[in-house]
Amino acid sequence: MSRIRPLDPAHHGALRFDPGIVASTPRFVQIGLSEIVLAAADMPLCLAKDAHTGRFNLIALLGLVEPQNLFCVDGRFHATYCPRALQLTGFRLHPDGVAGLAIDEEDPALGASGQLLFENGRATPLTATIADALRRLIADLDAARDLIADYAARHLIRPLRLTLRRSDQHEHVIDGLYTIDQDALSGLSDADVVILHRADRLAPATLLSASLTQIERLCQLDAARHQQDRFHATF
Amino acid sequence: MSNGGEVGRGPAASVNTVIVVGGGSAGWLAACRIAAQAKRTGSGVTVKLVESDRIPTVGVGEGTWPTMRNTLAKIGISETDFIRSCDASLKQGARFVGWTDGLPGDAYYHPLNPPAGASEIDLAPHWLGRSDGSGASFADCVDYQAALCDAGLAPKTITAPEYAGHANYAYHLDAGKFATMLRDHATASLGVEHVIGDVTRVNQSDNGDILDVELHDGRRIAGDLFVDCTGFAALLIGGVYGVPFKSCRDVLFADRAIAMQVPYDREDDPIACHTISTAQDAGWIWDIGLWTRRGVGHVYSSAHTSDDAAEAALRRYVGPAADALSVRTINIDGGYRERFWQNNCVAVGLSAGFIEPLEASALMLIETSMDAIADRLPRTRAAMDMVARQFNETFRHHWLRIVEFLKLHYVITHRTDTDFWRDNAAAASMPDGLQERLDLWRHHSPAPQDFSHAREVFSWPSYQYVLHGMRFASHYPPVGAAASEATMATGLIARNDRLRADLIARAPRHRDLLRSVREYGLQRV
Repeated sequence: MSRIRPLDPAHHGALRFDPGIVASTPRFVQIGLSEIVLAAADMPLCLAKDAHTGRFNLIALLGLVEPQNLFCVDGRFHATYCPRALQLTGFRLHPDGVAGLAIDEEDPALGASGQLLFENGRATPLTATIADALRRLIADLDAARDLIADYAARHLIRPLRLTLRRSDQHEHVIDGLYTIDQDALSGLSDADVVILHRADRLAPATLLSASLTQIERLCQLDAARHQQDRFHATF
Repeated sequence: MSNGGEVGRGPAASVNTVIVVGGGSAGWLAACRIAAQAKRTGSGVTVKLVESDRIPTVGVGEGTWPTMRNTLAKIGISETDFIRSCDASLKQGARFVGWTDGLPGDAYYHPLNPPAGASEIDLAPHWLGRSDGSGASFADCVDYQAALCDAGLAPKTITAPEYAGHANYAYHLDAGKFATMLRDHATASLGVEHVIGDVTRVNQSDNGDILDVELHDGRRIAGDLFVDCTGFAALLIGGVYGVPFKSCRDVLFADRAIAMQVPYDREDDPIACHTISTAQDAGWIWDIGLWTRRGVGHVYSSAHTSDDAAEAALRRYVGPAADALSVRTINIDGGYRERFWQNNCVAVGLSAGFIEPLEASALMLIETSMDAIADRLPRTRAAMDMVARQFNETFRHHWLRIVEFLKLHYVITHRTDTDFWRDNAAAASMPDGLQERLDLWRHHSPAPQDFSHAREVFSWPSYQYVLHGMRFASHYPPVGAAASEATMATGLIARNDRLRADLIARAPRHRDLLRSVREYGLQRV
């Protein structure tokens, strides 16, 4: 449930923002181009299609079967790196709001803990910092989309069919995810390899593929969370 | 037109150069298929297309079959590019209005999805046992696609990969733009050489093979295989070889069509996701929705109505929007060649035959012909005779079946209100094979065993949709409720109901999907 409203001191004068508190339900979050190298240390990075445009977004998987963020414990994010979009779920850009912001009043990061958004009815410097971070995030997400569009145009993307099986053979299949096609990557011509490398687009492809080993971490977190047999993942 | 006396190449001579004579959809599709196959296999075969810039194309065929998805993929054209450049829309089948009794509410669907579980079970007897004429229509009982069409919903979402969807689909397209797109792709990406000129002479060898086509400026375009895509002119298959034309006018009476292009009233008007075929007093009207306009036309028998009356009927159908629109007339000389492949010449498209577009068979026949030619291109002149025999046998069969299937739409009507419908139901106009099958199908549901070819162009599900859609009197033995098949049928029908409800809730509006494809494109995977 979300309730988006332009940021305004009359309604939000006492509100505080705690970036350490994150939503507990999302199974994935979009990440930007500059986050790949950081997020790959913790999470599997995949591609998923936007429901409205069909274009690929770059995402970090946070959960498996249940609508659950497995890195979220007691409302706080426990990993080396927290994706920026996850920290900013409570904010939107909005021309009518203070500092050009709107907020989701139901977001868990906005409440009684953390830093104030207003003091004595005036916006704190934090609001401008947040608006700037949002703008940079949006540009970073666009840059990630451009990268993936380039991979798609070069036929370097394949569906990722993630099968999770428990020891009782109970099976879950997660569809709708995509990843780098290693065979297609290996089959690139020398000229294309150089073009991608010079554009700083070869290393991210390798990082995305390598990050899939983090699915194992999600399986471990899932088992710890639910106190049951671990999933064994194939993909 | 032709001369002999020159020595041809021997039987062991390899087939290296294919000359396609004539452009349009048929010519460019033929050139693309052969060139793409040569590129894929590295066969070294080269393709040239000779086209006059003074002869307009007929532009027949604005409806395709689902086969077009595979054809475009084989040629290497992305679905996004195709939809954008051809004003294309998606087609999930046809809705036949007024064909059964002509009374208000008379309509049925021939969807492109096969009935649920078609590879395991025939649901027709189960539907008949349930409906007793009063329940869900056959198409609604065994499949969900008619409901999608009724709701104006698309067979795929923007997240589906190119050429895939949640329901089977084909296309409606602008035939002129289609030919242009194929031409650009053939010349820019597939290495097809485009030769512009008027063919004034065809030079043959002693054995009758075509050596080259000579152009008005004296150029001679030589080749090993010639594909005649010269349309109604049939320059090679008719003009050079005089292969007789087998008329089917004694079975299918329509011999004329008038067409108009109707703009949408508003930019956001719904686009029908199916062909609408509405029966008239002496024929029927097609209505297809493209991205920018509708294509509407009246196919009729000039023996049963006048041209003026036919045009008036079309204008009545379109309504006030027709006042400002002109019509284009197309003569339909329904029939096909007795042979399609003669010596080193094969006819594809209108030069091979033409028939009223009731089931959109024109482009499908071009595709099917090119599948046979491109995928089994004879490597030597000697092999060509064998391939030609196979081709002729196969396509004679296909044409017979197409004529028969189209006739089915007319012959089982209950309409007796005009001479056109009465004459159509007369036994004298019915092909023998069809009469035999209809006798069989009164007591047996159409099944794969009823057809001799492994790959029929119209298979048994199509016959079931038309027969049961038109309330053909069928008397199948009842299936006992305890029979294992009854349980399976109940499960499949229930699953179909769930799928329908799910898709009605989540499938996008057809126009919305097309807008998204045009704006964002589809992903390849």
